[in-house]
Amino acid sequence: MTARVRTAENGAQVVSRLEGRQSLKDVEPNIFPVDGGPGQVQGGGLEVGVIIIDTDHHFDMLRLVSILEGRLARHSRESDGSETEPEEGVCSCLRRLSVVHCSSSAQLLLTLHYLESSISVQPSLDLLVIDSISAFYWVDRYSGGESIACQEANMRKCAEFLDKLRKNYGIVIFATTHAIMRNYNTTSDSGLSDVPGSSSSWRWKSADSATDFNKPYLCRAWQRIVTHRVLFTKSHVSNDHKQIFSAACTSIMTKGVKKCSFNVIEDGITFLCDK
Amino acid sequence: MVVLREGICPGLTEDFINALHSEDIKTVEDFVSCNPEELAQKCSLSYKALVVVRRVLLAQYTAFPVSGADLYQELLSSTAILSTGSPRFPPAHAFLFNMHMYIAFYITLCCLVFSLDKLLDSGLYTGEITELTGSPGSGKTQVCFSVAVNIPHRLKQCVFYIDTKGGMCANRLLQMLQTRTSNMEEQMEALQKIKVFRAFDVFSLLACLQHIRFNGLQQASVGGGSVKAVMVDSVSAVLSSMLGGKQNEGMSLLMQVAGELKMIAKDFNIAVLVTNHVTQDGNGCLKAGLGLSWSHVPRTRVLLQRVEKPGVSSSSLRTATLTKSSRQPCHLVEEFDLCNWSEERNSESGKRKLESS
Repeated sequence: MTARVRTAENGAQVVSRLEGRQSLKDVEPNIFPVDGGPGQVQGGGLEVGVIIIDTDHHFDMLRLVSILEGRLARHSRESDGSETEPEEGVCSCLRRLSVVHCSSSAQLLLTLHYLESSISVQPSLDLLVIDSISAFYWVDRYSGGESIACQEANMRKCAEFLDKLRKNYGIVIFATTHAIMRNYNTTSDSGLSDVPGSSSSWRWKSADSATDFNKPYLCRAWQRIVTHRVLFTKSHVSNDHKQIFSAACTSIMTKGVKKCSFNVIEDGITFLCDK
Repeated sequence: MVVLREGICPGLTEDFINALHSEDIKTVEDFVSCNPEELAQKCSLSYKALVVVRRVLLAQYTAFPVSGADLYQELLSSTAILSTGSPRFPPAHAFLFNMHMYIAFYITLCCLVFSLDKLLDSGLYTGEITELTGSPGSGKTQVCFSVAVNIPHRLKQCVFYIDTKGGMCANRLLQMLQTRTSNMEEQMEALQKIKVFRAFDVFSLLACLQHIRFNGLQQASVGGGSVKAVMVDSVSAVLSSMLGGKQNEGMSLLMQVAGELKMIAKDFNIAVLVTNHVTQDGNGCLKAGLGLSWSHVPRTRVLLQRVEKPGVSSSSLRTATLTKSSRQPCHLVEEFDLCNWSEERNSESGKRKLESS
């Protein structure tokens, strides 16, 4: 599985920008709706600099490299029919990648401020990935005490700063959040009272329903800056015993939801829907 | 939250801090979020001093990016895969011991751990958290014992075992070692490489993990060898009592335990193995306990279950199902039959893929 797809359902939120740096439209045409993706197209591999901020030590470099090798091998086979040495290709790709580990929301905020200087001097740096931005949610809620504003303070500052980075430097930001909040209010046909939490007032729905876990729980400031939202779920097991995953994308630029499904294979993911 | 205090960095004098306090800036995060130009105008500090202090604080408290290429090279040289049990072809004398004890419940788990390596894609990976879930009596502690015995005996490395349930039994470890070797010295050497910690509530667990992280791992244990695995049996015993209700403390402690385990795994290249209980979801399927937030923490999850055979009241057969993995397709199942003893026979007849449920 790719490093960003977990077996539990999760949501991924994307903040993007349309001009300026080399943009990433068609970065995944299957997931983002036509004309609703993050930016303009460039052919082939995009060769942009990437910073990955890994907040829960989840980043799997070995898996990334195996996917890279598969992609490069496929690309070289398709383009010139020869099997070129994948190692140099992998190394040159990895040189464009930087990985940062953060262990608290304060450190995340300070690291973003520090990275601003790197971003400003490197115009080839186009993509910032935060995996995952919800990692400090519970710890912040507890350490903030009783006041919600205090609990959300660091997250709010991070969101505001990310928005500033997006506006000033035109980078694309991908962030993942774990779907950990169950949406209790979606039972329209249950005819029960609306009191959440009391055991008699909700009916247990099957966990396959995509709307069950997409309740946004991060602070308002974060919800405001999100422009595209992709919800990943595990859908069903196919006839040949493969687990199918689905992604549903909503964005502020288009109406409706674009859905697609995919399989996870050795070399990454293969899409099952047709455009 | 890092509070601004005198002396945490050069240039941060008491006057400096008092001037900042007058602008309601008490933490490093607040300070860094402010624009130095505006700040210089509002309070009596010089712009240059503010910029210098800001730069030093950022350098002190941020995490630094590592190039992907360097990270990859480092991982290639330091990641190890630890087998959970004996090799594919157990030596003859071990086979005889197995025959003698075939009635014993526990021996199936020695067989279990041969095939567990296949489920885990050759074994426990260092730098990752692997979780064993199962109802009581499904064999989680026995698998932990087997791993705890195998690593010192076969790989000559040390193991830290954190016991939160009081289930650690040194006699059982010795018994397992005796099936692997009859040499007393080897047995004692292996036992010396297993270090047991006890923690019966979440705060002691956190203290224990932090102690391990800051002190325990650097010290070489008796007989040499570095620590290659840390086992926590079980993590749900101390955490599940803290969860529930509207309190945030339990969830925060859960995430802190997760963070400590991950840092130990990543920074020291250690395989972390934890055990967890199971609950049922709405459809009656078994799922791991401790909720959704914990479910994102382990990289690999294996569910252990009893095999119910009609007419047999207590069988010692178990199945292991892979429920979460980043390397293998899920729902792989290994089943263990008491009658099959050698590794080859297990691999031919014991392994079955689970039909979609």
